Amino acid sequence: MALAKPCAAILLAMVLVATALAALGVSPGAVFGALLNGAFGSWLALSDSIVKAMPLIFTGLAVSVAFTGALWNIGAEGQLLMGAMAACAIGIKLADWPAPLAIALTLAAGSAAGAIWSGACGWLKVRHGVNEVISTIMLNYVAIEAVSWAVHGPLMEPTRALPVSAPIAAAARFHHYWPPSQLNGGLLLAVVCAIACQAWIFHTSSGFELRATGKNARASAFFRIPVARVTMLAMTASGALAGMAGAVQVCAITNRLYEQFSPGWGYEAIAVALVARLNPLAVLVTALFFGALDNGSQAVQRVLGISPVLAQVVQAIVIFLLLAFDTGVFWKPPAAVSRAMEPTADA
Amino acid sequence: MLRTVDVSRRFGRTVALEAVNFATAAGEIHAVLGENGAGKTTLMSIIAGHLRADRGEVLLEGHGLRPGSASAAIAAGIALVHQSPLLFERFSTAENLAVGALADRRRPRDTVSKAFALAERLNFPLADRVSGSVEGFSMSARVRLEILRALSLEPKVLILDEPTALLSPGELAGFLDLLRALRSNGRSVILITHKLAEAMAVADRITVLRAGRVVASCRPAETSEAALGAAMVGQVVPPAIIAARAASSSASLLRIDDLRLALPGRPALQGISLRLNGGEIFGVAGVDGNGQTELVEVLAGHHYPTAGRIELAGVSPPGDGEIAVIPQNRDQDALILDMELWENLLLAGRLRRTLSRAGFQRRRRALDLCADLLGRFQIRAPGPRLKAAALSGGHRQRLTIARALATSPKILVAHDITRGLDVSATVAVHRLLIDFAAQGGGVLLFSTDLDEIVALCHRVAVIARGRLVEVAPGDRYPERLGLLMAGAGS
Repeated sequence: MALAKPCAAILLAMVLVATALAALGVSPGAVFGALLNGAFGSWLALSDSIVKAMPLIFTGLAVSVAFTGALWNIGAEGQLLMGAMAACAIGIKLADWPAPLAIALTLAAGSAAGAIWSGACGWLKVRHGVNEVISTIMLNYVAIEAVSWAVHGPLMEPTRALPVSAPIAAAARFHHYWPPSQLNGGLLLAVVCAIACQAWIFHTSSGFELRATGKNARASAFFRIPVARVTMLAMTASGALAGMAGAVQVCAITNRLYEQFSPGWGYEAIAVALVARLNPLAVLVTALFFGALDNGSQAVQRVLGISPVLAQVVQAIVIFLLLAFDTGVFWKPPAAVSRAMEPTADA
Repeated sequence: MLRTVDVSRRFGRTVALEAVNFATAAGEIHAVLGENGAGKTTLMSIIAGHLRADRGEVLLEGHGLRPGSASAAIAAGIALVHQSPLLFERFSTAENLAVGALADRRRPRDTVSKAFALAERLNFPLADRVSGSVEGFSMSARVRLEILRALSLEPKVLILDEPTALLSPGELAGFLDLLRALRSNGRSVILITHKLAEAMAVADRITVLRAGRVVASCRPAETSEAALGAAMVGQVVPPAIIAARAASSSASLLRIDDLRLALPGRPALQGISLRLNGGEIFGVAGVDGNGQTELVEVLAGHHYPTAGRIELAGVSPPGDGEIAVIPQNRDQDALILDMELWENLLLAGRLRRTLSRAGFQRRRRALDLCADLLGRFQIRAPGPRLKAAALSGGHRQRLTIARALATSPKILVAHDITRGLDVSATVAVHRLLIDFAAQGGGVLLFSTDLDEIVALCHRVAVIARGRLVEVAPGDRYPERLGLLMAGAGS
């Protein structure tokens, strides 16, 4: 039942897009065919979809954790960038280290940077009542500029010809198991993180405190749930996950830092998390869906010359539809009416 | 003046109203009585255009009202004051009044100044007029503001949905006078209530609803409280509450000495002292906003007192979880409606600890405990996995009491726990308190309902302006208590 709305939203979005395509004189069948083929049509296409989903899993989890506590962390993008930057800065220097240790250290640096970037917003909220929506968004821009500065300055590659960093040490890179596919150990880590988040949020006392705070901070405070501590924990964990996304991307795929490192994984994560209803295990599925959509839409461009913006259009429509379902635009009676209904259910 | 003709309405399979014919004349106060779920609020929502009837129509002065249109109802002169105030939290008093004017396309400035003049005339104290938002207002201040907003629309028909539940006796007398004044201007006033005495005292006509049907309609002179009660409940009136009067003489269980609390800008508690014995129900009467919320919050451990001492069974400060607290605002503070019943149990710190191991929840045990409590406290729910929002008000309150008692506290602090409950639910809640006291627990009952305090409590005190004064047994009648609550005897 919980999945009914997301599935309905996705289906309806597809129908709307198909109608729009048909109206524009493009065969929806051809587009969706190319999309599916590009996303899942071959072993390589499938593995590419999975690899594209990887950063979305981490950032999707980051957003889920924060949103569960009613903390609107819109800053996964910036936290991811800071994570990538820290991972890169450390990873370059680990040439003489044993591989597992080098990877662990690089990832730790990345998630620590993300945790600090978002923990700062948590602290500002708890201590000074600063709205986290604003602080996290603002720090996204700071992070973008910081990356730009780093690749033109301290992290710039030695020949100083291009605004990219030097590659990280081979020891700090994830192994690609079945080249040319880019499948790597980061994916395993993503799944482990999802399971850990699921266990934390739904099976521990700390996760209960987080959910209670998110649903009703007043009642939680009355029953002495440490709301400030819960807020700090959730924001830090959220940032650590987003930072991890950046670090894994550096270790597994890019090996370098450069400007426009992220195509918007931190923002797309909001869609991933909302469609998953903030459920960490469901994030695995929705991240794969959006990863496949990204991947497939590139195939659509190659085959039919249609812009990959198509993927973003689908995403946006899905979110609008989900919100519409939730706020009752389609069938739920307006709030005044459901309030009036309440007493009649009484004993 | 206002008439409904064969109005029927269903929600799913529940029949809320069945062919209701209801009529009220100009210059009349018409009380509508009924238990929770009898259909009172549904009927009024249909009249005010918030709901559409499945069948039937609403006529005002002979003209049919457009069904389901609240703005049409307002324009025609029907104003509804909600059971729980619907105010704009971030707006000031004046802004909230202005919004009412906008809904009726009046000039906000005129409406607001007229409303303030009206408030003056009716002796309606308004806390903070222009600056400051409604957020910090007490319940009774909110109710007053909401009533004033409705009156500022100069309605022909004013519908008041249980407005008196939150008013003190002092305010009540003035309020009933106000109703009479409104009537004399040729308006009709519809007063929804489940307080029989109130209906008898003020109404010109009384209509009783039961299970969506009109079961009686008569003048107060033609009937009696007993007859009305029987019509409401549909059977014998539930037995009156018999308090276990024999207070045990054991040493004081709870001792509070000179407790003070200063909150930003105001001293909320100014030296509270009290002794509570095991087996006792100690009633604290008072008008909302006189320090009872703060006292409850201090006892809940939510505030640290500025000065003074709380000692429980010789231990000061009391051990964690020894005092179980049921806060006033059931749906906002006591429960998380969007969580399941078993999860709501875990809000109690003691249960949160006993039902976890090494940081992990012991879900099986929590579910078992919840299922057990549902049975023991006769909470009507299919199981522990139900969302708390799906329970009715009375059963929600049973859940909060069940949770409090499941922590096996020494003291139970209950704040306004029967507000908005119908007769049988109130009796059930009272019985739980009496049983707890009978087993040696101490109950501290905060309430604005004097009848409840007088009927249930072994000892009574009045709280006014942050001070607590115990009332001698001879003074325990509502009129005297009302004076004390207004701050007279202190």
